[in-house]
Amino acid sequence: MKILRIIPERCTGCLRCEIACSYMQTGTFQPAKSVIRVSSFEAHTSYAPYTCTQCSEGWCMTACPVEAITLSPVGAKVVVEDRCVGCKLCTIACPYGTIFYNPDTHKAFKCNLCDGHPACAEACPTQAIEYVEAETADWLGAFAAARAQPHLATALARGEGR
Amino acid sequence: MARRRHVIVGGGTAGLNAITTIREQDAGASEIALVSAEPPYSRMVLPYFLGRRIAESHVFTATPARLEALRVQPYLGRKAQSLDATARRLTLDDGTVLDYDDLLIATGSSAIRAPVPGADGRGLHSFWTLEQARRVVAEIAPGSRVILVGAGFIAFTILNAILDLEARLTIVEIAPQILPRMIDRTGAEMVEGWLRRHGVEIHTGVTLTGIEESPEGKRLRFQRGEDLLADVVIMATGIRPNLEWLAGSGVAVNRGVLVDDHLRSSVPTIYAAGDVAEGRDLVTGEPALHAIEPTAMEHGRIAGANMAGDDVAYRGSLLMNIVEVRGLEIASFGAWEAQTGETSAMLRPERSAYRKLVWDGDRLIGAMIVGKTNDIWTTNDVGMLKGLVQSGKRLGPWKAHLHRNPFDLKRAFVASGTTASLLPRTLLGRPSIPAEQIP
Ligand SMILES: Cc1cc2nc3c(=O)[nH]c(=O)nc-3n(C[C@H](O)[C@H](O)[C@H](O)COP(=O)(O)OP(=O)(O)OC[C@H]3O[C@@H](n4cnc5c(N)ncnc54)[C@H](O)[C@@H]3O)c2cc1C
Repeated sequence: MKILRIIPERCTGCLRCEIACSYMQTGTFQPAKSVIRVSSFEAHTSYAPYTCTQCSEGWCMTACPVEAITLSPVGAKVVVEDRCVGCKLCTIACPYGTIFYNPDTHKAFKCNLCDGHPACAEACPTQAIEYVEAETADWLGAFAAARAQPHLATALARGEGR
Repeated sequence: MARRRHVIVGGGTAGLNAITTIREQDAGASEIALVSAEPPYSRMVLPYFLGRRIAESHVFTATPARLEALRVQPYLGRKAQSLDATARRLTLDDGTVLDYDDLLIATGSSAIRAPVPGADGRGLHSFWTLEQARRVVAEIAPGSRVILVGAGFIAFTILNAILDLEARLTIVEIAPQILPRMIDRTGAEMVEGWLRRHGVEIHTGVTLTGIEESPEGKRLRFQRGEDLLADVVIMATGIRPNLEWLAGSGVAVNRGVLVDDHLRSSVPTIYAAGDVAEGRDLVTGEPALHAIEPTAMEHGRIAGANMAGDDVAYRGSLLMNIVEVRGLEIASFGAWEAQTGETSAMLRPERSAYRKLVWDGDRLIGAMIVGKTNDIWTTNDVGMLKGLVQSGKRLGPWKAHLHRNPFDLKRAFVASGTTASLLPRTLLGRPSIPAEQIP
């Protein structure tokens, strides 16, 4: 299956993926409705986008009480809008925090890989997001851990926390 | 060789998940009989039926055609009456006798009412079954005075619906706070304030002593304080597992049916799942009765897999709940209430936001979150909180960071490699298939 591979080292934090995603998903340019979200690391000197990994369990899909989340032809877990009742069980079942609730429509929403043409990957000017045949993985863990070291060290040196 | 015969008792979440999982594995090779007092539907979407957001037909999870496609022999509207575990024989309320190779107990729970004089009178409701929901739907009209007795999770799931119907809502609760089994005092105070601002009247720490008919409506009397008047009274005063039919069966029962990590009861040919099963809690490792949808789903799938001949062990169920009231999200996970653990809490009254993390060393064992639905921080973070508690990931230096700021969850989640520890995990040791694609 083709999935989104994220190469955080290439991300410049331009947020074009969020804008393209929200436009594709909702028809409007609202990063708040984007299902890919860019986080900053190391005091805003580096960035990385974060989105659904299309995990094998599909915690959102199995949790749904009314079978409103299914597998699309391209293998994405997708919300079937007219079955979704907006109960939010999927938002607490997904342990990655990558399925959301839209208070305007009362429906859950998530990455559906844009039916095989992911807007985020197409919009990324630095190829930090690729749509490729691959095993899904934790794309950001090592990147974030390395960049967090100075941040944590400073916090601990200031004697904050325990 | 005769085909293996499974009997599933109860067609709710646990029973249906067991059936689809058996079929996922055996593609129709075994016989499955489903005995269910009610037709298969999802209780937890009844609040949306009450609020007129969905049609009644939307609540059903398996139609007769779907059961036929799954090659299930249905006994709907029938109740299991007695079980002979030695002879492997189940007797139904109409005298039908079913023999089985293995059987699943998935009879869920029933609502119970506070023992109050008058509390079984007419016009008093529970909200647990479709039948009960229909009665409440028929009675609430704009302007109705509705009193919810009990401010627990189930009461809160129907709160938005009652307000959407333009009823006037009052909540009475015996405990000193609302949601006593879901959030702490600080969180409860924030939610109470929010609800009062949304026109809900709340009385906590009050003991109902009687309900009487009067010319002005139903009169609720309390140990202390003034009487309250209502057109519709909904009792959300607790539930208990449906176990009566197991009397004399020899199946070991504590608060629920005790099950091992394969969801097997004390009798090896009998499994139990869902609200009736007392199985391992993921965080405490102790037997627990959860009565929540995700536990019923997971129990059902594990039991189904094992009944179909697989050998799948279960790590345990994570207690979790989320409910939204008038745009305020309230969620808790795991041992949020643990008295022993260290906690990290932060209140942001100006944002109506509150977080509490409960630690065992540098692992999260419980969490609580209150925040506005339209605050992206809230909706982004509920899932990650679940992931942190579910994975039990050691957070090392991130503990100090989260203690300082429980709102900066994502950085800790990502940099601690929690994703990597969760990705290989699946419930059944294989990728899930959407139920609709089975068989
Ligand atoms: C209004 C409401 C809102 C809820 N909201 C949530 C929520 O937001 N999140 C959450 O996690 N949980 C929620 N729940 C709880 C959730 O619905 C239950 O935990 C879940 O349904 C349990 O599944 P189950 O299969 O164990 O039992 P059930 O779904 O109750 O199914 C049990 C079945 O067994 C049948 N039965 C009973 N006795 C017999 C007998 N003797 N013989 C044959 N059949 C019998 C019943 O008729 C029923 O069909 C809610 C419940 C209600 C009522």
